[in-house]
This record gives sequence, structure tokens and C-alpha cells, in this order.
Amino acid sequence: MAETILQGIPVSTGISVGRAFFLNRGHIHNMPRQTIPVEELDKEVSRLEQAFQRALEELERIQTRVPSELMEHARIIDSHIMMLQDPKLLESTKDYIRRMQLNAEWALEKSVEDIESVFRTLEDAYIRERIQDVRVVAGRVQQHLWGGTNSGIKSIHSRVILLAHDLSPADIVELEVGKIMAFATVTGGKTSHSGILARALQIPAIVGVAELEDFIQDGQLIIIDGLQGRIYVEPDEEELSEFTDLKYQFEDYQARIIRSSHLPAETIDGYQVKVFANIELLEEISSVLGNGGEGIGLYRTEYSYLNRINMPDEEQLLDEYRDLASMIHPGKMVIRTLDVGADKFISHFGPLDEANPALGLRAIRFCLHHQDLFRVQLRAILRASVHENISLMFPMISGLGELLRVKAFMGSVQAELKKQGLKYNPKMPVGIMIELPSAMLTADILAGEVDFFSIGTNDLIQYSLGIDRTNSHVSYLYQPLHPALVRMIKYVVDAGHRAGIEVSLCGEMAADPYCIPVLMGMQVDCLSMNPQAIPVTKHIIRQASMEDCKDLLKQVLASRTVSRNNKLVKDSIFRQHPHELMFYSSLLDEGY
Amino acid sequence: MESLDVVTRRVCVANELGLHARPAARLAREAQRFTSKITLCSQEQEVDAKSILDILTLALGPGCNVEIRAQGEDAQVALEQLEQLFLNRFEEVQ
Repeated sequence: MAETILQGIPVSTGISVGRAFFLNRGHIHNMPRQTIPVEELDKEVSRLEQAFQRALEELERIQTRVPSELMEHARIIDSHIMMLQDPKLLESTKDYIRRMQLNAEWALEKSVEDIESVFRTLEDAYIRERIQDVRVVAGRVQQHLWGGTNSGIKSIHSRVILLAHDLSPADIVELEVGKIMAFATVTGGKTSHSGILARALQIPAIVGVAELEDFIQDGQLIIIDGLQGRIYVEPDEEELSEFTDLKYQFEDYQARIIRSSHLPAETIDGYQVKVFANIELLEEISSVLGNGGEGIGLYRTEYSYLNRINMPDEEQLLDEYRDLASMIHPGKMVIRTLDVGADKFISHFGPLDEANPALGLRAIRFCLHHQDLFRVQLRAILRASVHENISLMFPMISGLGELLRVKAFMGSVQAELKKQGLKYNPKMPVGIMIELPSAMLTADILAGEVDFFSIGTNDLIQYSLGIDRTNSHVSYLYQPLHPALVRMIKYVVDAGHRAGIEVSLCGEMAADPYCIPVLMGMQVDCLSMNPQAIPVTKHIIRQASMEDCKDLLKQVLASRTVSRNNKLVKDSIFRQHPHELMFYSSLLDEGY
Repeated sequence: MESLDVVTRRVCVANELGLHARPAARLAREAQRFTSKITLCSQEQEVDAKSILDILTLALGPGCNVEIRAQGEDAQVALEQLEQLFLNRFEEVQ
């Protein structure tokens, strides 16, 4: 057994075995506190000033050689430079040296703590977190105070696993990619910059490892398991050979699925399903195409509305939608109208005072309430629809009455455009999201009024099972394969097909390796997911047979419990992919 | 220099994300070019406009009003230059 096994959040998959290398920054716990004799205070102050100066020169050097693809991450370096030049930081540190006769290292730590206590009181979470930048900057100065760069990134001579409290954008720019096999940090979450970078570099990474600095020493042999988010410190022979094997298998697997991700998602018995992507930003298109996405099944349009004072105008939106449509062409793209409220607010309107936002004025209800806003977006989508690969979709439809009201409103917008002589595609496919139990049970009625359904499983699960998955007290009840859910989804697919319209499924369930065969068995027409999940999904579909999927669905429909369903799908995937099971992550409960 | 008057100007934060790290850096850098004492005032808090850390602690969100105060020989020019920054939204790409 390894000396210690540490758990963190995996942000980039893969396995790596190598020597630990600590980027030793900003941590004073091994720095002695010293009292400086009065006659040496001037010398201590000038030592501090020199360290600031060197850190500044270093950052300015780094700034001049930022590779263009990292520009976005590197802009923050400018703020770091200003922090180094900040009168407050330097002056208050000098003050600590003179007043309390502290050594420079401790004085700097003291003034950072002072700044930290001010920041901690701030309400704005984004600005409050900038204290991390102050820490990073102070860490760079500390490193110069210790008189060496021997723990800096540049001193790495062989291939290592990089460990750090935090990786700043400047660190990232300095990284010589070839020398870093993997990395792990104490701070960070699923969405931190370092994770994005690791995925781009295709190296394993784990963040949020709280005890990283306590249990690992420089030079120790460690294993980074980016699949499970574990770090094995000083592994034994058995673990070493196990993970070396796993590493080769995983790399082989990755290469295989990416290679085949451009082939159609067709089962061995010839049944094809579309695999599309859910995206929010224009920039994600390259990832969609690179991963073999055949179109956009869900374009979330909220981004242009959030965090800004002025609402986007028709021309801006039109440009945005047109650009996207031509980039994904000949693939199709489905634009979902504004889905705000609940957890996303438009600052222009501010959060509403609602006891239950998830059951409140959100999505289509919000749009029907703010018709001016809705009109602008509809006009832009309609005008963009002269690109014939565009479809339109309304979120959160609760029943026929509401749908007819929305369609009537759209009709008035179309009439308006016609009167002004502006072109649009009158045949643009119009669909709705099925994410409320009421819409699901009236799917047969709704089907006559639309061109397609898209089942939004994330919300459908929450509204049907009555749980908020972000609430840790009840999140165990988030059960995609609850018999009720399986029946609901089946009902919607059948109702759609009876009316001759397509049914797609967007939501995390669409990309869950264990759920895919069941959904296939229902003959869902299209699965839409985040772009990174596409290769695995296609791989699973290409190995499956429709006959088996239908058989599995039959068993699942006959089952009475979630645990039985979870076992059924797990056994089925195990039979199909016995050696790849460990590469799949699933929404389904761990315990099955 | 102490006898010079304080000149002030009210500006509004028009950046989409408010005065976050990058615009704050821009503002502090610009302010440091002047010899005048320059402060920012918002909701009864007055901070040093030459300090990025001070600026950040004002936590100015989009739409916030803030007063620039300058005192010194180049106070007038400073006000105008800094006001321009606010008007140009700190040259952030929209």
C-alpha cells in the first residue's frame, strides 16, 4: 500500500507516474520568524525592496513572451504587476519591518494577512477571490527573499509532476510543457483556469487537494490518477505496475475514441443516432468539430445578456446567431430562447424577490412577461433563420395554452418583419423543451403543434423527483434511472414519433455511459451533450447493438426500483466494455 | 501644493463586470503617472486611486457611481485622463 492516498477533484483525465516537484511559493510555515536588530533594519528594508524589484522585472519579462493562445489567461499578469507596484503592499511591509523589527518574509506575510482581512469582508465574490492574486504576487516576492529560484519552474530539469498551492497564469506561461507530466494543486475547483489548461495540454490534473503540502515531499515518487482524482504517495510495486498498465490502456483508449469520433454514431446493426453538442460560446465550435459533433443541439443564448448593463440589440444578436450558423454549417443548430431566472439573473432586472425561484418567473415565463426583450431576440433569430440550418426552441413550456400564446407572439413578430420587408425563413423548425412533468404528460397534445421535442433531463429529473440536486441533503435522490423517469422519457419519445416529429435529449444523462444504451433502446433521434463527452458517447454507440439496447430497455421498464435499474445498466456496460469501465464516469449513484 | 484646491468629477462604471482586476490595474497605472494626490470616493469610502488593492476593495460593480478627487499641480489633467478611462470602459473588448 502507498504511504498515503490523497483525494482531490479530477479536472483532466489520465494517469501519470513520476517524481513530485513542489513549486514552493507563498508559504511561510517553514520560514523562521526573526527579530532584526535596530541597526540592521535599513538593510532588511533594502533586501525587501530588491526582492520586489526582481519579482517585478521577472513578471515584466514573462509578459513579453506570452504565447498568443494563452493571451486570455495572461492578461491578469498586468494586475499582478500593479500589485507589486502597489504603494500599500510595499509600504505596509516596510512599516512592519521597522515597527516590529520583523524579518522581511514575516513582515510581508503580515501585510498580506491585513489585506486579506479587508478583502474577506467584501460582498462581491469575484473581487473577494482576488486575494488569491495578492497571495501569488507575494509568493513571487518571497521566493526572491529566500534568495533563489531553485524552486521556480525554470529550475525543472527532468520530467516531473508539478505540485503547487495554486498555479497562477504567470506560472502557466512559464511552464515548459514538455517537462510537466501532470499537476496537482491545493486550491481550485472544476472550472479553474488550471483545469482548462490541463485539458488543452492533455495532461492529467487534480485540483482541490487540501492536504497536498502536508503529505508529499519534493522528489517523492507519486501516482496521479486523474480518473478518480487520487494521488498515491510512495506507491508499492503492485500499485506501480497496476497504474502503469492502466496508463497505457487509458492512452490507447483515448487515442482510439478520438480517432473514431468523426465516424457516424451507428450501432453494429445499422441504427444511426445523431450526436450533437450543447454550447454557450462561439469559441466552443472548434471543440465541437474536433470532437466529432455533428451539429449544435442546444445553443444557450444567455451569455449575451448576463453581467451587462445594456441589453444586446437586435443587430448584435443577429450577428452572433449568423456567425454561429455559418461556422457549424452544414450541421444544424438549435437556438434556445432566453432561459434566465432560477439561478441566472439579468443584472438589468436584478434578482426577483421570489420564495421559490426554480418555480418562479423564469425561462419562457420571464420572456412572456418582458415582451420587449423577447421580441428583440425573436426578431434576431427569425432574421438569422435565412441560414436554413437554424431551428428555434422554447424552454420550460408547461402546456398547450402557453405554447399557443408563444406561437401567437412569434406570429406577430413575423408579421412585423414582413411589413418591414425583412427576410426570414417561414419554414424554420420550431421545437420545445420537455422539462416539466406537465409537458411530458401532454406530449401527445403538444406534438401536433411543434416540429421537434428536446427532453431537458436535468430539469425534468428535478421537477419530477422534487429534489434540488445542488442541495447535499437530498442530492442522493437525483436518480436518472428512477422508474418514473424511464417511463416519462419513453412516453415523450413515443408520443413524438407517433406524431412524426424528432425527439432529442439534451442534459447530462445524454452523455452518461450507463444511460446511453437505455436511451438508444427508446430510439431517441439525437443526443446532445458537452463537446468533450462526444467521443466516448459515439464509441459506446458504435459498440452497441440496437437489439441489445431494446432488450435492456425492456428489462429496465419491467423493473420496480432504481437500484435494480442501476444494476441492469451497469451489468450491460460491463459485458460490452469490461476493460474500459474504469474510464467512464457516471451520474448514477456510486453504491450500485 | 497643499494649498491647491481639490477638484472632483463623478463618473459611472460602465464595464460589464464592474471594476475588476484588469480595469483596476489600468486605473492605478494611469493614476500613478500624476504627482497629484488622487482618490476615489464611493459610499463614504475614500481610497487611494494609485493602489490597485485599494481600488478593488471598493468593489465597484457595473453601474456604480464614483467620485474622482484630485489635488495637486496636475489635478485637472489627471481628472480628465481618468474620466476618459471610465468613458472608454477601460478599453475592454465588448
